[in-house]
Amino acid sequence: MTARLPWRDLLLGLALPLLAALAWETAVRSGHASGRLVPPPSRVWSALAALARSGQLWPHVAATASRVGLGFAAGSAAGLLTGAAASYSPLFRKLVDPAVQGLRAIPSLAWVPLFLLWLGIFETSKIALIALGVFFPVYLGVMGAVLGIDRKIVEVGRIHRLSGIELARRILLPAILPSLLVALRTGLGLGWMFVVAAEYMGASEGIGYLLVDGQQLGKPDQIIAAILVFALLGKAADTLLVALFAPFLRWRDVYRGGR
Amino acid sequence: MPAPLKLRGLTKTFAGQDSPVLAGIELTVAPGEILAVIGGSGCGKSTLLRLIAGLERATAGDVLIGAEPVLAPHPAIGLVFQEPRLLPWLSVAGNVGFGLAGGPRDEREARVAAALTRVGLAARAEAWPHQLSGGQAQRAALARALVARPGILLLDEPFSALDALTRADLQDHLLELWAFERPTLVLVTHDIEEAPVLADRVAILRPRPGRIGELLAVELPRPRDRDHPSFEAAKRRLRAALAESPPPFARKLAS
Repeated sequence: MTARLPWRDLLLGLALPLLAALAWETAVRSGHASGRLVPPPSRVWSALAALARSGQLWPHVAATASRVGLGFAAGSAAGLLTGAAASYSPLFRKLVDPAVQGLRAIPSLAWVPLFLLWLGIFETSKIALIALGVFFPVYLGVMGAVLGIDRKIVEVGRIHRLSGIELARRILLPAILPSLLVALRTGLGLGWMFVVAAEYMGASEGIGYLLVDGQQLGKPDQIIAAILVFALLGKAADTLLVALFAPFLRWRDVYRGGR
Repeated sequence: MPAPLKLRGLTKTFAGQDSPVLAGIELTVAPGEILAVIGGSGCGKSTLLRLIAGLERATAGDVLIGAEPVLAPHPAIGLVFQEPRLLPWLSVAGNVGFGLAGGPRDEREARVAAALTRVGLAARAEAWPHQLSGGQAQRAALARALVARPGILLLDEPFSALDALTRADLQDHLLELWAFERPTLVLVTHDIEEAPVLADRVAILRPRPGRIGELLAVELPRPRDRDHPSFEAAKRRLRAALAESPPPFARKLAS
């Protein structure tokens, strides 16, 4: 393993957004653009800093992050279990999969009115909506991955007389781990998408609330600040997830780009 | 006391097929004997081995170790597949120790280390499977099967994917390993040289349905010299016996 310079990768990743921000800032300051509807980075930054200084930002971040966290935990656990059961038992698959695929075809936002009716306007309905969004990609990813495991490797488990649980733990789980990570990342991404929808449908706090508030009060700098917070939170959550899996995926002999 | 491996009227018909793959196989393999099963492709060699290993259930007949029937994978039977089938997420040592679930940890580690040394892979213990050459990977698979000290070791064309030099090297290596604890070896092959190098007896499997056409004893002293005239004679005898059951396409050409 060659030691990579993390700073170099970080700088490369930041180069494009920083360059764009700088260009916009220059355009507004030099009078080439008014910056009224698209405020320059300095105004977005000061809006963000004001929110942070006044102590308003953190409760919003905490509310949104905990909704995504809880919804992701519930949705991915349900997706993992249902996907595993559907791949392990053909009968369960025949019973459940067509119904799940049918439900999956419904645009998830169509559930919003029902969820509000059933679960109320507070946290439960929001977390349920996020969990629903996370569930489908995790379910599909897990089922596809388990059904794609090489039979020859499962036979190695059989010849060593592994019990069902041992087979799941020592062969099936490690075999699907790379696909599981992809499924969870997709699910997590959808979780962030759905939290905005959930907070749009009525919330008194959360980053999504900052969006609505910014729109109603005509504060584009606050809207962009909230969008930036979403970007940072989403990226941080994804990086955390990848880092959690990394120690278990060191064995992979994969293409890393180039020739 | 190790028990003989007995096949009694072993018959296998796969679901949805009319004709059996194997029909009425009768065979007894003595403890410590090396038996090679040879035949063309599609004659049921691999199926025979999978039945003995307990990976498939026989339609009729029995696989017995002494008097005990084998209905599922059995602790006394080890199997080396045609491909190494190493688990890519475990190190070489982790793969070799895969079947050693019970017992104290340091004892398991000592057995894995000993097995790796015997197959000449001690230096690669911490490598990932994808970092091994084909020959090294198959040696690791051999170590994984041997570490549990099976009384019977089954090998399904274990060296057929390797180049000729590596194959000869591994054949010699297998005999060295066999000499340690003298397990019964049943080796499936289509290689007309592999059988007389390794085996005490050669069973010729005839196709459609698969049955034992002939049992030849290889009466050559060990270690066997691949260049000795008597070895060449044994190969010729084997080739002649195989030619009595020409593969289906040859029969078509002749008629």
